[in-house]
Amino acid sequence: MTTDAAAPAALDGITVLDLTAHIAGPYSTKLLADLGARVIKVERPGGDPIRAFGPWLNDEPGPERSGAYQFLNTNKESIVLDLKSDGGREALERLLPLADVAVTSYPPAVAERLGLTPDALRGVADVNVLSLTNFGWDGPYRDYSLSETVLYAMGGEMYSHGSVGREPLKMGGTASLTQCGAMAAIGALGAVYATEVHGITQRVDVSLFDVQLNSVDRRSSAIMAYRFSGRINDRPEVAGPSTGAGVVGVFPCADGYVEMTASAGPYWHRFAEMIDRPDFKDPKWNDREWMNSPQAREEVDVALYPWLAERTRAEIWEAARNAHAILAPLFTAADLYEDPVFRERGLWTEVEHDTLGRFPMLGRPYMLSETPWAIRRAAPTLGQDTDALLEEAGYDAAAVTELRRSGAVA
Amino acid sequence: MNAYLPLQGIRVCDFACVWAGQTATMYLADLGADCIKVENPYVWNPATRAAAPVLPAPVAQMLPAWMAGHPDNDPGPRPWNNSPAFIHVIRNKRSFTVDSRRPEGLAIVKSLIAISDVLAENLARGTLEKLGLDDDAIRAARPDIVILHLPAYGRTGDYVEGRGYGAHIDGVAGSTILRGYRDSAPETNVQTFAGDFFVGMHGGLAMLAALRHRRRTGQGQTIELAQAECSASMFPQAALDAAWNGRATGSIGNRSTEGFVPNGVFAARGEEQWLALSCRSDAEWAALVDYLGSPAWATAPEFATAGGRRASEDAIESELAAWIAARDREELFRDLQEVGVTAGPVLSAKDVTEDPHANQSPAYHRLEATEDYPTTDFPAPSFTFSRSDVTLRTPPALLGEHNHYVYRELLGVSDEEYAKLEAGGHITTTYADEIMGR
Repeated sequence: MTTDAAAPAALDGITVLDLTAHIAGPYSTKLLADLGARVIKVERPGGDPIRAFGPWLNDEPGPERSGAYQFLNTNKESIVLDLKSDGGREALERLLPLADVAVTSYPPAVAERLGLTPDALRGVADVNVLSLTNFGWDGPYRDYSLSETVLYAMGGEMYSHGSVGREPLKMGGTASLTQCGAMAAIGALGAVYATEVHGITQRVDVSLFDVQLNSVDRRSSAIMAYRFSGRINDRPEVAGPSTGAGVVGVFPCADGYVEMTASAGPYWHRFAEMIDRPDFKDPKWNDREWMNSPQAREEVDVALYPWLAERTRAEIWEAARNAHAILAPLFTAADLYEDPVFRERGLWTEVEHDTLGRFPMLGRPYMLSETPWAIRRAAPTLGQDTDALLEEAGYDAAAVTELRRSGAVA
Repeated sequence: MNAYLPLQGIRVCDFACVWAGQTATMYLADLGADCIKVENPYVWNPATRAAAPVLPAPVAQMLPAWMAGHPDNDPGPRPWNNSPAFIHVIRNKRSFTVDSRRPEGLAIVKSLIAISDVLAENLARGTLEKLGLDDDAIRAARPDIVILHLPAYGRTGDYVEGRGYGAHIDGVAGSTILRGYRDSAPETNVQTFAGDFFVGMHGGLAMLAALRHRRRTGQGQTIELAQAECSASMFPQAALDAAWNGRATGSIGNRSTEGFVPNGVFAARGEEQWLALSCRSDAEWAALVDYLGSPAWATAPEFATAGGRRASEDAIESELAAWIAARDREELFRDLQEVGVTAGPVLSAKDVTEDPHANQSPAYHRLEATEDYPTTDFPAPSFTFSRSDVTLRTPPALLGEHNHYVYRELLGVSDEEYAKLEAGGHITTTYADEIMGR
């Protein structure tokens, strides 16, 4: 791999039994795996359903070629267990004592039917169990389902995202789910930390709905504001950037868009420097009445739009950085992939896959100086570690053969 | 109380601001760390305690509700203690004031660092260095400390001087370009801060991991979390489609990145009554068709698979829109969920406060009225621990609320010295005259 394999990992010695699927749960355990925890991913026969979702490596579909799967499962081991069979269930019970924490994403009704509730798992072995559910274990919506979109609609601040008179908008991609995964990772590591300090184990419950309700992406604030003041956030009347009283919003330029904030005060002066218009530092630009006038708006528009139109995002961002103006380009993922500065910093890495060869992978979300984030292994192929894990759980070769024959493992 | 808190005994010297930084340290505080906010009464940190230090009611009214919907629409004389945008991320923390730009103030900060396990900051680039608190100086005060930096674009590379808030960083991370209407240019976007939320959690997790390593080895370390880089992990599908297939994904509106058809947000009967709906599988589609009463448009054989439906996504959406428009949102939500279709209302902030599920959820914790705000349900930690007392243990720290605790109990400052620091303007519960425009 591209990182120093000899360096210690922050989560060395921690074992996670990962019973989650799809996006939020696997992201939580990926975060732990990439920091050095051993993560044993238990897949259902046929595999984690995320394997059916693209994008695909070189646009060629296949259960090992899913980008979502490959990203979300780096550094994990895979064992396939049919938990509805006696043999699969027993194998799970023999693996559970290996774990410091088990992480589940079963809906409550499914967990109850299969005997996989946190309390049932904790009855098998003295381990921490973190459950990630849609709506928690109680309440009127307990058994309801969620998609990324419905989660953001109900839990997140979709209501004020978009334009008035049109439908509210979701975030890009499946962001509300990766966000919830990050919260679950804190909960899981918090539980393991409590074990290491206090010698106790416990269950930790995280609901996707609750995580989004408390999102600081305007949501927790909007709810606090309503409770305090009775005001709600509406989607804005006027779509589009504003100039005059403050240059705020997204503006077109020669090769795309930039977002800037140049409200009154120091930000305005930096803006004036950025577009090389020292006359905009005149005290009249501190006067609210002038700033709100049509003349002021026209003066700004005449100066700003041509300046932007003649320049690329890279040129504009450089001018902004030199002036310390509050501005950034809108990047697509392709821009981010090709950007030489982020490349040099190491945002992207490569993984070596047993059957697919080398391919690029989105790299570290953070750099830890002494215990570096590292991909030590690509996401596992389906059941790649089944035999080794069963052996570790105490099964001999004949027993493994029998389990395979019965379909309990694969 | 305080039973089995994971981070019991851990102290955080907290220079964090805005949401990303303040939530990163909040997660440590939630888990039991003694998180001490270092606040300079001579410096107003934008978007950290309130929109502005002086906020007349009419001005607050002009700002977005989430930013300035203070109690009874009147921020009063101390907006920094009752801002809807920020005070809830100061839960479980302590606050003390010091002017760290003056030598005696810097000495106080250094003596706090010497007894801290973590230092977290996301101040404007160079701020700590200007104070004389670069990493070496911090480590000189506390060799085994864990340091968290949250630069926007990194501490190395050509973008180090890039300035921005969450909305700008989201632009570079690729969030903004992915979240507009399919038929409009990005100019119509409203500002969101998905990255602040994501970065805060990752900052908390990274510090927790580093503390775990330190506990086992005695070794501290420095964490650099470049916010734009971290936020890119919210969008792995777009990232890998670019890296693997050279594709630059744009916005698909409310359609599904996962290929669910239909997937969207539709107007139900009444004003601003929106219903989000996803058919996550062919079985969910079949259940929806059944609930619709199997109308002719929906029973075309090619619609049995997501691929088939995708070819007619516009038509399916317009049929659904017409059908939903005549119906009650709440009834559809409950009925569709009961028959196995993933649907839910777009809950405004007001709707949340009236929602039967939200109102019984552990997401909220009621705090009694104070001088600064009325009795209110505040956000609580988003994880419930069955044995550790991880909850909203202490209300948002008011500015300088814990001066006595920090100066006297922790740092052992004498009565005489305390009085001197107070007279010198270090120890206070308000901002300095120049900040207040007095």
